[in-house]
Amino acid sequence: MKTRLSAILIFLGPALFIMTVFIIIPIVLSLLISVTDFNVYAIFDWKNAEFVGFKNFIDLFSDVIFWKALFNTFYALVVALPLTIIFSLLFALLLNRSATHFKSFFRLSLYLPSITNTVAIAVVWAWLLNPRYGLLNWFLGLFGIAGQNWLSDPKWAMPSIIALVVWKAIGPNMLLFLAGLQNIPDFLYEAAELDGANRWKQFLHVTVPSLRPQLLFVSVMLVIGYLQLFEEPYMLTKGGPLNSTISIVLYLYRQGFYQFNFGYASAVAVVLFGIILTLTAIQMRLRKYQE
Amino acid sequence: MKKLVISILLILFAISIYGTTLKIWAMGEEAKTLPVIIQEFEKENPGVKVEIQALPWSNAFEKLLTGVAGRQLPDVIQMGTTWMPSFSAMGAFQDLGAYIKNSEIISEEKFFPGSWSTCVYRGKVYGIPWYVDTRVLFYRTDLLAEVGYTEAPRNWDELYDAAKKLAERPEMYGLTFQTNEIQEFIPFVWQNGATVIDENNKPGVDTPEFMEALDYFARFFEEDIVPKAGSGNIFQDFASGFVPMFFTGPWMVSMIHEQTPQIDGKWAVALMPEKITRTSFMGGSNWVISKTSKNKELAWKFLEFMSRPETQFQWYQLLKALPAVKEVWNYKELKSDPFTSVFGEQLKDAKATPNIAEWEKIESIVESVLEKRVLGKITTDEAIKEMTQKISKVLK
Amino acid sequence: MRKKKIPFIEQLGVHTILLAAFLIMAIPFFWMVSTSFKNPDEIYIFPPRWVPHRPTFDNYVELFKTVDFGRPLINTVIVAVTSTFLSVMLSAMAGYGFAKFRFRGKEKLFLLVLATLMVPGQMTLIPVYLILNSLNLLNTYAGLILPGVASAFGIFFMRQFIMSIPDELIDAAKMDGAKEFFIFLKIILPLSKPALATLTIFNFVGAWNSFLWPLIVATDEKMYTLPVAISVVQGQYGEKIALQMSGSFIVIIPIIIVFFFAQKYIIKGLSMSGMKF
Repeated sequence: MKTRLSAILIFLGPALFIMTVFIIIPIVLSLLISVTDFNVYAIFDWKNAEFVGFKNFIDLFSDVIFWKALFNTFYALVVALPLTIIFSLLFALLLNRSATHFKSFFRLSLYLPSITNTVAIAVVWAWLLNPRYGLLNWFLGLFGIAGQNWLSDPKWAMPSIIALVVWKAIGPNMLLFLAGLQNIPDFLYEAAELDGANRWKQFLHVTVPSLRPQLLFVSVMLVIGYLQLFEEPYMLTKGGPLNSTISIVLYLYRQGFYQFNFGYASAVAVVLFGIILTLTAIQMRLRKYQE
Repeated sequence: MKKLVISILLILFAISIYGTTLKIWAMGEEAKTLPVIIQEFEKENPGVKVEIQALPWSNAFEKLLTGVAGRQLPDVIQMGTTWMPSFSAMGAFQDLGAYIKNSEIISEEKFFPGSWSTCVYRGKVYGIPWYVDTRVLFYRTDLLAEVGYTEAPRNWDELYDAAKKLAERPEMYGLTFQTNEIQEFIPFVWQNGATVIDENNKPGVDTPEFMEALDYFARFFEEDIVPKAGSGNIFQDFASGFVPMFFTGPWMVSMIHEQTPQIDGKWAVALMPEKITRTSFMGGSNWVISKTSKNKELAWKFLEFMSRPETQFQWYQLLKALPAVKEVWNYKELKSDPFTSVFGEQLKDAKATPNIAEWEKIESIVESVLEKRVLGKITTDEAIKEMTQKISKVLK
Repeated sequence: MRKKKIPFIEQLGVHTILLAAFLIMAIPFFWMVSTSFKNPDEIYIFPPRWVPHRPTFDNYVELFKTVDFGRPLINTVIVAVTSTFLSVMLSAMAGYGFAKFRFRGKEKLFLLVLATLMVPGQMTLIPVYLILNSLNLLNTYAGLILPGVASAFGIFFMRQFIMSIPDELIDAAKMDGAKEFFIFLKIILPLSKPALATLTIFNFVGAWNSFLWPLIVATDEKMYTLPVAISVVQGQYGEKIALQMSGSFIVIIPIIIVFFFAQKYIIKGLSMSGMKF
């Protein structure tokens, strides 16, 4: 049975209209720029931008640093995605137990990183990771492990960034999982218990299936977000050392906002858009098959 | 007769500006301090109201960019000197040539040449210097005395020698450089009479002088005189003697006094080390008038007001910002200050980076190659080759 | 709720893990708050002082002298409350549509909604600004609020949640000839309380903290929001960091209050809905 058109318009219309005006049209505009040489001279007067076809894309794919940025971004995604999901889910489960005390307090404290001033976060992380006075090297020293120059060693800079990324993402995603967990009716667990399922089995056969919508949501959102990794490397390393932490969006930002190659930066955005769209579509499709 | 005409014109101008509002964008602390000075300007121009909008330093850039794109700029804007070339290239600023010709207060020779050059783009003047800054050597007098330097290192050899000796202390270093900060590196290029772009607008890095500067800079890294991991916290590192020397600008003077008072009296500032010259990097802020402004005459009046020696001096007293007008440096308050006077001396030999729209791109090329060179990933020859090739492409 | 004896060792383990997490997560927040009460010579000291030896209110005094809080606070409240309400409402409506409506092209349309998240904000900054400019919305509350109220994040979140509400409930209501809107108000919204509360927190925090957009839309200081008004105390070279920390702390306090309030509401909403599945 199809839904009436009037209902579709009433429920989807307002959101889609605002999206079109303020997000979709700007996106289309900025994607159109990718086939022009839109640069510093065109900002004040758009007539100074000329059509250059696919030149930006050709230049892009022949730039070593772009490939480096692509590699770094996927490296961050592959490591940070599972870590974020595991930790967020773990804390959500712990905070969903009826026997856990001080729930509100813990919930808030896990959420703090996402509302704390970024300057404070940058200062503290630079401290934790400081090779000489950092807490991390001191801690490793207790176990006789040699400390590292976390942020200035090309080997360790990206893992350090990933740690920060995961640390910041745990709180909000935990809240998303909690909202889902709170909606699983008790009788499902009671029924499982009567069938003699232990707690691990209950988790696998009750919690995980009931959380599917939230799991899909979180993983799709994280893929979209992590592929646009920008703030953390911008804050801590500016993409260095030796471009070991440059991400696609940081690369785009440098091209656009430092050098005013907006045409080129748009081409980067188009490529990134294509990658994210493909991955998201695959995730949504997989989900359909599961059902 | 002439006097009469002028006074009639002045009266007419006063009537025409009555009831106008002059809109100004300025950055952080400067914007918050400007009202003190503005009162005087409003008194001189009855009926004029000055409205200041403070922009945060961290994101002023995006704000300016959207303002240019939407043609929504105020009458007058504060501009960091390093942003001048790109924003001048956009064509959003008023050419001030005609105003300068008729001005009694503003003329090129009243300002430091390095500072004035940041206002000139393709032969036209788009801004007027407001305040300047430049980098000098900050050093721990007590620690340098321990290695035999009762005065600051005066030239390249002494700087290297002092730093090398200081770095022999266990777990300590001689000075600190960032691996990829052009403002720290380029003074050494200039001091050796070299340049990044030559006068024919071609890459100028393929010269023995440039190579020598690059090698000199890199040697500090190669011989572990600077911490490769950088300084985790310059204040604590300076206070603990971990890095007894570094190069930075005037803003650090009050910050070091405030944050590490325990070393007061144990540190000083000195001129850049000499090779052929002692050239340093010139920065600061300029005033520009937007092309779309409807109050250009009044805006110019404001620029003139800000360029008066007494206003410049007042501004120095308020924020310790270094005056761009040379005359102010004869005031005894500036001459007698042990820190300020060194900056004043250094300003006589300070340069800004080239005012061309492509500079940002060239800067990022130099920075990334420099980083590879100091971390030992490539040789000097390879570095020069890569820079030449990439810069030529940009300057095509 | 099931009442069962929980082994002590398990309780101990769970709370130890949470305590460790709390310590790791809250460090920067501690540092921010403690720095806001520090004199300059204690800010960057090693090892870091988590409690200032000579606490001072100077930073707060100076902050209130430099920044006029009145108008920015009003602006922030207006913007945060309005945009949170609109955004949650639009998300719930569109989320319901994408979860339960049946029409052709629904999946593709939804992918288009998600696509709005896939282009970095830096790229759309200038175009959005130009659109607002042509609509004459610069320096207005509408300009501050509208661009952010339709969020794919919210729509997607609500869609996932409403999907898990059994169709039988809706169909039963349909038999009675109820209109979509009635179903939405009487069935969907009450059952989505936890999700709505969570989304409210997210949106409120986002709107309250939003910084770049309010800065760009405001063409005079009267339209500044709190985060923008406070950000201008920062110098070019990162001086006055304690001032910034005191400002950030002041901005966060209302968020924490709202957070606790919303949490209470979640728990209440849950016990009220009583899990009538």
